[in-house]
Amino acid sequence: MSWFGQLISRRRMYADLSEEIQQHLEEKVEALMAEGMSRADAVQTARREFGNVALLEERSREVWGWPTIESLCADVSFALRQFRKSPGFTITAVLILALGVGVNSAIFSLVHHILLEPLPFPHPERLYAVWASSDAQGDSRIAASGPDFLDYNDQNRSFSNIAEMISSFTFTWTGEGEPKLVNCSSASEGLFSMLGIRPYLGRLYEPREYTYLNNDTIVVSYRFWKNQLGSDPHVVGRVIHFEDDTQTIVGVLPPMPDLFPDTDVWPKLVVRPSWSFMQWRGNKFLSVIGRVKAGITPAMAEQDLTGILRRAAGEPPDVRVRLVPLKDDLVGNVHVQLEIIMAAVALVLLVACVNVAALLLARSVKRSAEMALRVSLGAGHRRLMQQLIVEGLGLSVAACSLGILAGHFGLRLIGYLPAWRLPRVEGLHLDAAALLATAAVAIATTLFFSWVPSMTFWKLNLSSVLRRERAGGGRFQGRFFSWLVIAEIACAVVLSVSAGLLLRSFWRVQHVNPGFRPESMLTVYLRTNYYSPGGRGFWRDVLDGVAALPGVRSAALADCTPGKGAASATLLFDDRPNDPNHLPPAQGCWTSQDFFRTSGTPLIQGRFFTEADNADSPPVVIVNAETARRYWPGQNPIGKRIGVNYTGPGRTSTAAPRMREVVGIVAGIKQGTLDSPTEPAIYMPYLQDETSHDMATMSLFVRSASDPRTLANSVRTRIHAISPNQPVGDLRTMQDLMGQSLAPRRYSLLLLGAFAVLAVLLAALGTYGIVSYAASQRMQEFGVRMALGASRYSLMSHVIRNGLALTTIGAIVGASLALLANRALSQLLFQVSPLDAVSFSSAAVLLALTSIGACLPAAWRASHVDPVRALRNE
Amino acid sequence: MPIGPEKKAAQRDLFRGALEMMILQSLRRQPMHGYALVQHIRQRSNDLLQVEEGSLYPALQRMLKEELVKAEWEISATNRRVRTYKISARGLKHLERELSSFERMLTAINLVLSPAKG
Repeated sequence: MSWFGQLISRRRMYADLSEEIQQHLEEKVEALMAEGMSRADAVQTARREFGNVALLEERSREVWGWPTIESLCADVSFALRQFRKSPGFTITAVLILALGVGVNSAIFSLVHHILLEPLPFPHPERLYAVWASSDAQGDSRIAASGPDFLDYNDQNRSFSNIAEMISSFTFTWTGEGEPKLVNCSSASEGLFSMLGIRPYLGRLYEPREYTYLNNDTIVVSYRFWKNQLGSDPHVVGRVIHFEDDTQTIVGVLPPMPDLFPDTDVWPKLVVRPSWSFMQWRGNKFLSVIGRVKAGITPAMAEQDLTGILRRAAGEPPDVRVRLVPLKDDLVGNVHVQLEIIMAAVALVLLVACVNVAALLLARSVKRSAEMALRVSLGAGHRRLMQQLIVEGLGLSVAACSLGILAGHFGLRLIGYLPAWRLPRVEGLHLDAAALLATAAVAIATTLFFSWVPSMTFWKLNLSSVLRRERAGGGRFQGRFFSWLVIAEIACAVVLSVSAGLLLRSFWRVQHVNPGFRPESMLTVYLRTNYYSPGGRGFWRDVLDGVAALPGVRSAALADCTPGKGAASATLLFDDRPNDPNHLPPAQGCWTSQDFFRTSGTPLIQGRFFTEADNADSPPVVIVNAETARRYWPGQNPIGKRIGVNYTGPGRTSTAAPRMREVVGIVAGIKQGTLDSPTEPAIYMPYLQDETSHDMATMSLFVRSASDPRTLANSVRTRIHAISPNQPVGDLRTMQDLMGQSLAPRRYSLLLLGAFAVLAVLLAALGTYGIVSYAASQRMQEFGVRMALGASRYSLMSHVIRNGLALTTIGAIVGASLALLANRALSQLLFQVSPLDAVSFSSAAVLLALTSIGACLPAAWRASHVDPVRALRNE
Repeated sequence: MPIGPEKKAAQRDLFRGALEMMILQSLRRQPMHGYALVQHIRQRSNDLLQVEEGSLYPALQRMLKEELVKAEWEISATNRRVRTYKISARGLKHLERELSSFERMLTAINLVLSPAKG
């Protein structure tokens, strides 16, 4: 008979079988009755001698079928029925697991994508960023100057390829609508070939084009081509105007999400000949990227370049060259944040799994009567296990599918948080390995805790189970449940303490005195082509024009932006010997007259700049309190004289700096992020700038009488009235800007906080479930106690005490773990000790309250048990 | 007496081949239905073989599937609708083979178990 025929006649065959067995039994009964037995006795004897009808029938049917598949189908439909019958359990378990899987796969994918995935270039492990470091100068990330690079390039024996680049500056794009700033990255010959980059359209620069300085051809990024040039397929040959230059587009680069993704155009960087500012040894602003030869270790290459750099004149004797793997260099310092978030999310998964384990175990105990019945009806061990595992699989499959959805959308959401400024987020996708790993944990937990109870069902005795159903449980389970509660609470405590520490750090950072008043303040970055004192007319017009606008209190210019950054300088003193290798560093800033009045920075001593501090008057400088404290301890700096070696990019003169008189001391402005310490800083009138660099780029600051955003349009219009081709980029309030500098902190806090809340909620749910379950097992006991005179209050407190005991153990375990974990966290903390008592105690109180809340329903039921009913069940 | 799963399985396996042989041998004599088969085996063994009656049916189904026997619904002498099993040609061949190998084995076991000669 073909299997297809079997399939059709199967039903018929089974019917025959049942009838046959029925006939057999009847014939036997008749025979027994003929021997004089009563009908009832005969029926019983016939059945006993026949054996287990259901089991034998099933076994006979199995002969025909594919027993595994058929019983599997039966199990699946039974499992579905079970899920429908207890929707509360099913939904809770599925949601908890889905949450765990979703959040984890999203975060793991994020971390994998950003931190682990190799760069998409050939042999990425041989690509390094080259930095110098000097302990004497206290700087571990010194960039290279033009001559440094030429020395590396000509003398090294370790690199198959080495290139320098300027990674972020701007051009003004004119001639097509409102003038715009475009982001530029510029690289010397060799970068593209080193990274194996081929043009998307047209061509890249030819070797011939790296032999002259004039920019007549330009290569643009994929992003610029798509967003600004309308994906024009005939873009090659198109002429655009940058910086008053006419340039012909010769090529479009492919999408490069890993390499300076914000870049619009990639002008060439010519090394020989070179611009004059590239020829000074001390003008260190270039990034260097190299590919080491096969077989050369980073240490060998470092030694090679260190030797080259030390041979140059004027380098500090302890200067060393460091190679940083290019990926780490591009990713920057987010790895601490990401690793901590990953650890947090793993804890959430752990709590979720513990919760589901508890749910499954509690359910299996509830079902022990059903299982005992099935065992005594002849269900085999494998068969029972198969069914439980099918149920477990059903739960995990549903949870994982939901989890994948959640992870997918979660990841999308992270991609939409641009203010976080995570590197490499482009092309972020749910990672198959991350997903598999998390799903595997979830499935393994579900299956394991579905399977564990099946081991005990064998020991169940039907009659005792049916009789003492309510008293089941047993000591082993009780202890096991306690461990689950403790584990959950411990995880929740670790997360709450960490979130608490971050929250307190965030609060502290927000309440740092920035040294200026960011409210009612507007700022915009202005880039011009004025590289000479000819630009001063433009800046004066801008200052005067904007200051005269209605609603403007004052306006100022500076080449630094408070809260964002300042260039670096070194100081020369005329009252002490100066060691040229160890000049003390300071942040340097060229400002207009009203800078401090506009920023709202208090004067501590001396005076602000006045109109008299101009190009023709003796040069002056204002220092911040930290400079005074560090370089003139116990002295009055007013009237002292210093020279300022301005080492920021764009300096166009190497002449020795003029000596300046200190005329004022101001409060410390946070020139970096709020959580960085206030460094020594010096401020100089921009009209007294002997380097001329500042003529090109300045930020305009406007203090307004009311909401600064209402001024944005009039400021823009006024600047365009002065110079129609001047791009006026992002007009932003200082508060915005400050908020952005806090974004990484805010997001780590938000994520960790969300995970902590999740863990606490899950722990509450788990505690509730387990305590309720344990109490329901003891209802008779409570009834007896009540009958013996226990008060409601004492029963309630008994249940709550049990819950609190577990919570206390969990909190102690969690706090100890948190002590260990917080070492990793310390890098993200600000003015908060990793042992912060407030965070620890509030986490403990939070968990205690939560667990009391979770115990209350069970306690209430225990104290309202009806003794009569409880005893009747006995 | 509670019967553990292992014990049950062992019993089933032990009787598998033997039960099949007995059934085929009985059917070679004359076609029979299930109840009659049980009675027949019991009588022929002088009630020494206490076969669990039901265990006959999985064995019969197996043999049906392997086409060692054929089954048809008939009306019995006692006017009962019964399913009568007949041995097939293939069943006969199978029985011969099984019997000869069983006899060989029995002889071998006998030789081993009988007291040593000289």
